[in-house]
Amino acid sequence: MEAGSISAGIALDHHDDHHDDHHGPPMANRSSRVSHEILGMLLFIISEIMVFGAFFTAYFFIRLVAEGHRWFPFEGFELPVAIAGMNTAILLSSSLTMHWAQTSIKNGNRFGLKAGMLLTSLLGLTFLFIQINEYVHIGFSPQDHAQGTIFYGLTGLHGAHVFVGLTLLVMVTVRAFRGHFTPEHHHGVEVPGIYWHFVDVMWIVVYTAIYIV
Amino acid sequence: MVARLRGPGMIRAALGTALGIAVSYVIIFIMRSWYDLDPVLDGFAVLELSLFLAPIGFLIGLGAFDYWFHYMSGRPTRPEDHSGHGAKTWRDYFRVNTDHKVIGIQYVVTSFFFFFVGGLFAMLMRAELAQPGRQFVDPNTFNGLFSVHASLLIFLFIIPVFAGLANYVLPLMIGAPDMIFPRLNALSFWMLPLAGIMMLMSFAAPGGSFASGWTAYAPLSVTAPEGQVFFTIGVQFAGASSIATALNFLATIITMRAPGMSFFRMPLLVWANFSTSLLVVIATPFIAVSQFMVLFDRSLGFNFFDPVDGGDVLMYQHIFWFYSHPAVYIMMLPGFGIISEIIAVKSRKPIFGYRMMAFSLLAIVVLGFTVWAHHMFVSGMQDWIRVPMMITTAIIAVPTGIKIFSWLATLWRGVLHLDTPMLFALGFLSMFTLGGISGVMLAIIPVTIHVSDTYFIVAHIHYVLFGGSLLTIFAGVYYWFPKMTGRMYDERLGKLHFWTTFIFFNATFAPMHIIGVQGMPRRVADYAEEWAGWNLAISIMSFFLGVSALIFAYNMIASWRGGPRAESNPWRALTIEWQVSSPPPIFNFDSLPTVVGGPYEYGVPGAVHAVFKDAEVPQPAGATASGAGRGHGSGSAEDKE
Repeated sequence: MEAGSISAGIALDHHDDHHDDHHGPPMANRSSRVSHEILGMLLFIISEIMVFGAFFTAYFFIRLVAEGHRWFPFEGFELPVAIAGMNTAILLSSSLTMHWAQTSIKNGNRFGLKAGMLLTSLLGLTFLFIQINEYVHIGFSPQDHAQGTIFYGLTGLHGAHVFVGLTLLVMVTVRAFRGHFTPEHHHGVEVPGIYWHFVDVMWIVVYTAIYIV
Repeated sequence: MVARLRGPGMIRAALGTALGIAVSYVIIFIMRSWYDLDPVLDGFAVLELSLFLAPIGFLIGLGAFDYWFHYMSGRPTRPEDHSGHGAKTWRDYFRVNTDHKVIGIQYVVTSFFFFFVGGLFAMLMRAELAQPGRQFVDPNTFNGLFSVHASLLIFLFIIPVFAGLANYVLPLMIGAPDMIFPRLNALSFWMLPLAGIMMLMSFAAPGGSFASGWTAYAPLSVTAPEGQVFFTIGVQFAGASSIATALNFLATIITMRAPGMSFFRMPLLVWANFSTSLLVVIATPFIAVSQFMVLFDRSLGFNFFDPVDGGDVLMYQHIFWFYSHPAVYIMMLPGFGIISEIIAVKSRKPIFGYRMMAFSLLAIVVLGFTVWAHHMFVSGMQDWIRVPMMITTAIIAVPTGIKIFSWLATLWRGVLHLDTPMLFALGFLSMFTLGGISGVMLAIIPVTIHVSDTYFIVAHIHYVLFGGSLLTIFAGVYYWFPKMTGRMYDERLGKLHFWTTFIFFNATFAPMHIIGVQGMPRRVADYAEEWAGWNLAISIMSFFLGVSALIFAYNMIASWRGGPRAESNPWRALTIEWQVSSPPPIFNFDSLPTVVGGPYEYGVPGAVHAVFKDAEVPQPAGATASGAGRGHGSGSAEDKE
């Protein structure tokens, strides 16, 4: 069989342009306008939303259903709404710089890509540091009560996503400074960008549910 | 030697595993000394971290992440040279292989290994239950046996074996050279044996294996002995594996269909896997989170399920069943796809109501998310949830009924070829209908209250998972065996396998309905004297059922080694996977097929599903348009009444 397929491949070379490498498979047909990288990331984000959904289910039960349900502030515990609000602003502005980086590379502006990626990574890092600082000074632990558990659970889950997103961003930044990506080929910026925007939007939901409502 | 150590493979994987354990020791040491905990090195803490890090070390060592590490560090990536495709020796199945056909076989063989292990546990349970009182195992071991039995057969057999079969045939069916993310495909396979080995290793844990059932209800799982974490963490790997595969299937189906293959020209197996993958991508995160919460409660003293500190115990069941009810459709829909293929081909007729078959799959996906609390009728949840759940549960029988009646209508006046795959398909139709009917009974709240936690539940679940899913798996394995191995299986042994399975399956599980209604509790190693007669009979029949699985194993192994060579299209099917040689060429197609018609036009004069453009290129047997034409031609001749 293999002999058959190789000889067929060689025969193809004479009349088929895109078969420059006859050892490879035939070019797959593209049956959708969406690129598979972006589609894969979107599907992954659906899964991620459901991960958050499960934690929000826990939040719902602990805050509204469980025996003796209550929410902050209680027993002298308060949530630092203002500081977290500032942190929200920092994370949201990082979405803007991310968008700047993405449009820059689309227009061939390499400086914009590099500066945008660097700024986004630094803003993300700042967010994470403020978050950890908040953990250190907040005064209760996840072991104290279910309210603490779900506070750390949701913000920690989100923090873990920020960390993953940051890893992707650093990766993109390194590659941007090494001269990768062109106006034609920039999926490597676009796909982590989608993830980063998702992390930001998710934070708005988490912030609203935990701190404001 | 150094090159062998640095190169990806089993040796580096062993090193990676050891390194993962070592890193766990270091991390636990640092963390515990930071918090001044005593003792500084807690064995259970190290174990739990190792259960995450050792498998990851194994995967890194095996080379599953090599490409991505290259990419991340910003070095120029090695373009895929396709040298890794195909398997020449058995050793090629023990490395990271990006060929979907190799991965498919890896999946199927691995999951059948766990099928036999899980079946062995069932035999042990039936030996214990043959008589009242204690025979072979103590009650705790018995609890471990049924928990591992269920976990292996659900997470390591039924879900992945469908993924394996689809991995092999789905890209061929839609005319794609491979899956869209081949490296992710390889990674998702390799997470699977790790999860299975982890669950089996739990028997070595102090306090025995996890014994809280495959449902692992909190607070039982929070307070259970250490064996529980082998389930908690093993499920994470099995779940990640199935999410990755599902994502891959969805992206492959959406972006890689051959020219002309519109959504409504896809074979129903592709539709079935499309719907299943939707379910997996949406639902599986819930079981991952539920097990993470159990882990946090157990190991870090969190309070998710601790009512004293404001947690909620029933929350576990809500989150768990929000995955695990859709999971029963994850375990069933791919089987529906297999049956649709086989029934159309073997009765030489177009499938009845093709579009309704596709839409009913999607309806099941949607409705599947609305019924989870019917598992909780006796849990003490709010009363008002019960009746809506009863109604939605009854409604979900409608799309399933549409499928059953469509298959029956397809059979109607068809020219039935009663060979092994078809026998299994017909066996599935009858048995799954019975299981579905007892399912509708269980949707009725008063019935559930009466039979909850009895053998009636055991009978129901085995009628849908054994009589439903497993029979479709056997049907699919026999149907695609010639394609996957290039050999024909032994038809006489296949039929013997079917009849022994069918008879002893019923002899084993049908009486369980009766003792269930009489009130014999499930998941207990002992029972009252009055059920001794039934249980002895069930146990004897179940051993015969176990022997019937050995016939299957012998048939598969012997036929793979020395069966007669299979032709490219032994069933005269129209779908694309049969238009290439058996086994298919290393890259599936020399040039892509073009789809010009529906996949099931058996007996329709002049109907063609797919044509190959380069007809002038000499093709091995039957890989051309004439192959497709021949299939339909002889089919139509037979169908004339």
